[in-house]
Amino acid sequence: MNLNGDVEVLQKIVDGALASLEASRQRIDDLNVYPVPDGDTGTNLTLTVRALADAVEQTSAASRQSLARDVARGALMGARGNSGVIFSQIVRGAADVLGETDGPRIDARAAALALRGASDAAYRAVRRPVEGTMLSVIRELAEEAEQRALEGPALGELLLELVRRGEIAVARTPEQLQVLRDAGVVDAGGAGLLELVRGVAATVTGEPLPAPPPREEPLGVESIHRELSPYRYCTVFLVEGRDLDRDALELGLERLGDSLLVVGDRNALKVHVHTDDPGAALSLGTDAGTIDGVEIANMHEQTQERTERLLTAVPDLATTGVVAVVAGAGNRRLFEQLAEGMGPIAIVEGGQTMNPSTADLIAAVESLGSHEAILLPNNTNVVLAAEHAAANAGRPVEVVASGSIPAGLAAMVAYDGTRPAAENAAEMREAVAAVATGEVTVASRDIALAGVDIRNGEWLGLADGTPVAGGSDFDDVAFAVVEKLVAGHHDLLTLLEGGDAPALDALVDRISAAHPDLDVDVQKGGQPHYALLLSAE
Amino acid sequence: MDLTSANTAIVLDSTADFPDAQERFPNWRVVPLYVNFGGESYRDGVDMTAEEFYRRLPSADPMPTTSQPTPADFAAAYAGLGGYDRILAITIAARLSGTFQSAGLAADERVRTIDSETASAAIAMLALAIQRRLDRGTTDEEVDALVERYTRGHGLLFTVDTLEFLARGGRIGRAKAFAGELLNVKPILSIRDGEVVPVKRVRGNRKAFQEFVDALESQTADGPDLRVGIAHADAPERMAELARMVRDLRPQATIEIETSLGAVIGTHAGPGTVGLFWFAGE
Repeated sequence: MNLNGDVEVLQKIVDGALASLEASRQRIDDLNVYPVPDGDTGTNLTLTVRALADAVEQTSAASRQSLARDVARGALMGARGNSGVIFSQIVRGAADVLGETDGPRIDARAAALALRGASDAAYRAVRRPVEGTMLSVIRELAEEAEQRALEGPALGELLLELVRRGEIAVARTPEQLQVLRDAGVVDAGGAGLLELVRGVAATVTGEPLPAPPPREEPLGVESIHRELSPYRYCTVFLVEGRDLDRDALELGLERLGDSLLVVGDRNALKVHVHTDDPGAALSLGTDAGTIDGVEIANMHEQTQERTERLLTAVPDLATTGVVAVVAGAGNRRLFEQLAEGMGPIAIVEGGQTMNPSTADLIAAVESLGSHEAILLPNNTNVVLAAEHAAANAGRPVEVVASGSIPAGLAAMVAYDGTRPAAENAAEMREAVAAVATGEVTVASRDIALAGVDIRNGEWLGLADGTPVAGGSDFDDVAFAVVEKLVAGHHDLLTLLEGGDAPALDALVDRISAAHPDLDVDVQKGGQPHYALLLSAE
Repeated sequence: MDLTSANTAIVLDSTADFPDAQERFPNWRVVPLYVNFGGESYRDGVDMTAEEFYRRLPSADPMPTTSQPTPADFAAAYAGLGGYDRILAITIAARLSGTFQSAGLAADERVRTIDSETASAAIAMLALAIQRRLDRGTTDEEVDALVERYTRGHGLLFTVDTLEFLARGGRIGRAKAFAGELLNVKPILSIRDGEVVPVKRVRGNRKAFQEFVDALESQTADGPDLRVGIAHADAPERMAELARMVRDLRPQATIEIETSLGAVIGTHAGPGTVGLFWFAGE
C-alpha cells in the first residue's frame, strides 16, 4: 500500500491530539495520584506525544507499514513516565493494525480494530494490570468502537461517540480505584488519553476543540493525600540489542523497585522503574544490550516542587484583594509574602514623603482582579486618599486605616482573600488596634520634650505618634521607644530596619536581656526616613 | 447487650499516641501504623519509639513516609482478643488515613469500627471516656451517643513549626495557604470533620501560646468534668508550659494525657508541633 498523503493526515491528527492534551496538561498533572503522586502525568504524556509528532515529521517511510513502524518506534523512544510508556504501547497496538490496512481512508471498522489492538497491547505491557487507570479507559473505548462499528457510522461520528464514552470511563475511574476515590480525583492517565481522543475527533470532524474543562476546584491538596512512593528515582532508559529477553530483564528489574514497565520488541526495550538504585537498573540494561536515552529523575524533588506549587496557589475564588502603600523593598516583600496563598496584592510605592494619589490607588484596586478590596494606607497622610479611592472604586473597598507599615503588617496576618472585604476589614482593624507602633527618625527641627531638648539632626523616638525620647545615641533612643511599646504588649516585638539604619545587634541584645520572654523579630525593611519602625503586640 | 470492661475490648491504632494502653487496661490493644525510612519499615511505637524517631528525623533522606496497618494486622489484634464478645475499634479520622478502612476490612461480627474523626491524644481521650462507661457497665446506644457527642464536642488546637510536613504528606487540607515563613507566621490549626482546618494565623511562639490560652478560656469552664490532653513533637518545654497554663487556668480539670506525638503523627506534623485537646463530660 502506498502512502497517498497518509503522512499529512497523520500529522494533522497528531497535532490536534497534542493541542488538546497541552491545553489540559497542568490540570492532568494535578490529578496525578496513581501510581505515585508525583504530579507529572500531563507533562509526561505531552512529551511523549511530542516525540511522536517529531517521528511523523521526520519519517521517510515509503509504505503505510513502515510509517506505522516509525510511529510506534517514535512513541516508544520518546515515552516518558509510566503513563507515557503505556501510551506508547497504545500507539504501537493501533499502528500495528493500521499499518496492515489498505484502502485510501481509515473507516470506523478499521478504527475499532485499531483500538482493540491498542487496548490489548496496553494490557500486555503492564505486569499487573489495574482497573481505574488508562487501561480501563482504552479498553472501554475499544468495546464502544466495536459495538458502534457494526452500525457502520462515519469515522467522525464514531470518534464523537468515543469522546462521550471516554468521558464516562474517566468519570468512573474513582469507582474502580480506591486511591482515586480517597483523593477525590479521576485517573490522570485516563484523563490524558481522553483529551488525546478529543483532539483526534476534533481534527477528523473539523469541529473546533471545546474549551478545556476548568482545573478542578477546589484543587484539594487532598489530591496528594497519599503516602509517597518509597523509591526515590524514576529511571527510564532504552535497551537496544538482538534477541532481547523482555521477561528476563523484567524479572531482574522487579527486585529493584516498583512501577515497573518493560515494553518493546526483541530489538529495543523501553524500561521504566522507580528505584533507589538506578545504577543497578542500568547495569541490568547493559548486561542485556546497549543502553540509550537514560533519564533519571529525583521524584522527591518533583514532589517538593508540586507541594510548593500547591502551597503558593492563590485560591481562584479570591473574593478580596489587598492594595498596600509601602516604602522599602524589604517591607514590600513582607507584605507580598503575607498575601501569598491568601489572595492577590498590589503594592503602591509610597509613604511619608511620597503620597500616592487617589487615582493611583483606584488603578491598583482595578489591577487586583478581585471583586472586593482592602486598602492599607500604612501612613496617616495616605488615609484620606485611600478613603476617596474606596468611595470611587466602583466596587466594595474597605479602608483599614493602618497608620504605619508595621500596623499594616499586623493587619495582613489576619487577611484571608476568600472572605468578603467587610469581614476581612473587621478582623484587620482589630489586629491594627492590638499593636502599638513606634519609629526612630532624625529630628528635622529643634524640639522641646518633657524637659529634654532634641536638636535638629539628633535621633528622635516616637511611640504611637508621640515623641518619647531623643538624643545622639541611637540605641538609647530606640530602647526608650521599645520600653514604651512593650509596657502593654509583651508577646512579640517587630523591628523593621531602615535603609540607612545603624547596626541593631547591641540594641537587640539589650532588649532580649531586659525582656527574656519577648519574641523579637528583626526584618530588613529598607524604608527611607525611618531608621527603625517598631511594633509590639 | 450490657457492655463491660470484662466482655468488651478496645482496639486503638498507634496514632492515638497512647503507647502504654495495654499495660494500663487489660482489655485494650494498639495496632501500629508503619513509618518508613528509605527502604526500612518500622512499626510505630513498637520498633520505633517517638524518641528514636525524632533523633533520626533531622538526618533522614528521603524524609520518612507512613503506611496504614494492613487488614491482617487488625485481624491479628482481633484474634488475640478471643475472650471478648465485643470489640470497639477506634481509629484516626478516615479522611486522614486508610487505617479505618483496614480496621473495617478485618472486622468480624464482634467488631464495631468507630471513626474518631480526629487524631492523636483526642482518640485516646475518646477511648478513656468509653472505658469509664465500660467500667460501670454500658450499652451500645450509650456508646453511640458518647461518640456522637465527642466527635462534635471535643476541642482540638495545634500549631506546627512549619507546614512543610503536613504539605508533604498531603494532610494539609484547607490550611495550605497559611505559609509566611519570613515573619515567623505560626498557623493555628484544628481538625474538624476529620480534616485539618486553619483557625487563624499569628506571629511568633508567644502569640501561638496565647491562642491556646484564649481557646481554653472561651471554650471551657473550670470543673471536675473538664478533661485535657497535651501532646508534643520533640518540644517537651512547650508541653510543660501548656500543662502549667491549664493548671493555672482550669485548676479543677484533669489533665489525663501528656504524651509525645509518635512517629506516624510526627511524620505528618513535624518537630515543634504542640497540641491541646479537651472534652467536657464525664
